[in-house]
Amino acid sequence: MVSGLRRPAALPSVFRVIELRELTKRYGGRVAVDGLSVRVQPGAVTGFLGPNGSGKSTTMRMILGLDAPDHGEALIGGVPYRELAWPLRTVGMLLDAGAFHPGRSARAHLAALAASNDLPGSRVERVLRTVGLSGAATRRAGTYSLGMRQRLGVAVALLGDPGVLLLDEPVNGLDPEGIRWLRDLLRGLAAEGRTVFVSSHLIAEMALTADRLVVIGRGRLLAETTVAELSAGADSLEDAFLRLTSPETDYRGMEAS
Amino acid sequence: MNRYGFRQAARMERIKLTSVRSTWWLAIAAVASMAAVGAGVGLGYRSHTPVATAAQILNNSLGGAVLAQLLLGALGVLTVTGEYGTGMIRSTFAAVPRRRTVLLAKAAVCGGAALAVGLIASLAGYLGGQLAIRGTAIPAAHLGDPAILRAVVLTGGYLAATALIGVGIGTMVRHSGAAIGTLFALMFVPMIVVGLFGESGIQVGRFLPLLMLLNSVAVTSPIPGLFPGWISVLLMCGYAAAVILCGGVLLRHRDA
Repeated sequence: MVSGLRRPAALPSVFRVIELRELTKRYGGRVAVDGLSVRVQPGAVTGFLGPNGSGKSTTMRMILGLDAPDHGEALIGGVPYRELAWPLRTVGMLLDAGAFHPGRSARAHLAALAASNDLPGSRVERVLRTVGLSGAATRRAGTYSLGMRQRLGVAVALLGDPGVLLLDEPVNGLDPEGIRWLRDLLRGLAAEGRTVFVSSHLIAEMALTADRLVVIGRGRLLAETTVAELSAGADSLEDAFLRLTSPETDYRGMEAS
Repeated sequence: MNRYGFRQAARMERIKLTSVRSTWWLAIAAVASMAAVGAGVGLGYRSHTPVATAAQILNNSLGGAVLAQLLLGALGVLTVTGEYGTGMIRSTFAAVPRRRTVLLAKAAVCGGAALAVGLIASLAGYLGGQLAIRGTAIPAAHLGDPAILRAVVLTGGYLAATALIGVGIGTMVRHSGAAIGTLFALMFVPMIVVGLFGESGIQVGRFLPLLMLLNSVAVTSPIPGLFPGWISVLLMCGYAAAVILCGGVLLRHRDA
């Protein structure tokens, strides 16, 4: 097992399905997520692709109950996140690198979160080893490099040994070695039967990591497909992605005509 | 236990509170400031004529609570705004999605810590004053005297309530600077306004934190027109409950 974790509890896999039903979020007059309906299945790495500002992070936050949808719902194994009995044991999340207090050590950060879900201290040491931060665990997290912050974020995600993992732009700031490490980790977690939902705007990376793809633009679902299907008929996945998203990208430069 | 609850949230908050340096610095500063003011007052009275009374020494040596209330109020604010400022709040709410459970846990843990620190600080102010007047003709104030003990204990309680008010304001305002500014303004501005009305201002003034502290809580006997010390402290707890309640309502409807 790549992750060094035990296999997810012998729950039917339906409890590891992420389901978005007409999920909608507006900020003022702007629609950030627009009627998004998607099912993310266990046992695969599902890439969540879209240009900057397409609503990926907002969707992730709504799945976690951090932002309230204006319409629709996000369910994990059929229940809203806030109804989960032990959230961290069910869903692991990596939000933007920085969802920690810079003055707190990695170990204290993990210990606090572990306490909230009655997880034993041994889990803290375990995930610190898994992400390679054992040696730096007593240092204030604010002194970490971006790559180390991402590793701390991954440690938080793995803390409760969850069957569902949500990771928002996890490769940001990782060096090539770190990117490969994360790729192997995520693929290993999916192979263990977990649901792995990873947002990114790096198509090349998703081509290597993901099995399935959910592509959005301006908050709307553009495609729910596999890497192979999307890249078929195009020179590369990147070309296919750009063709799919180009009408939805609002920051295109002015074309000289 | 089949699901998380207050107990788990409180353990999380205890670890969070004790694992950042600002907590310890604010606690040390609160105790040190009260000890310093207490000792300063005592030294100042050593050669004072006429010879000071025990009550005078006590009342004045607890004056450092004016500073300590700001430090512990800031501690309360930072337990909440420190999380909003850093993004930690999203980790917290992901771990404990019932936000009012988080708020209650924060209030309980921070309030408990502030009560302990407040009592130590209050005692430090008292001891500072007493040690500084040793060997003079000024009568010693003994903690065995109910009036003395009451003032010291109530001052600790007042300081804890200030921290709770900080938790509530922090939850409502969410930004450290703005929340601490709001807290300080609420402490001082009403008192200045009431001061403009002179003697008649006491009808309103007896409800104001700083006036209560200096004239009702941290004194052996309240000045006429003010509430007894314990009522003043209860009023402070009421204010704290009100702002925490407001924070809890806002918390429910806002995106993290």
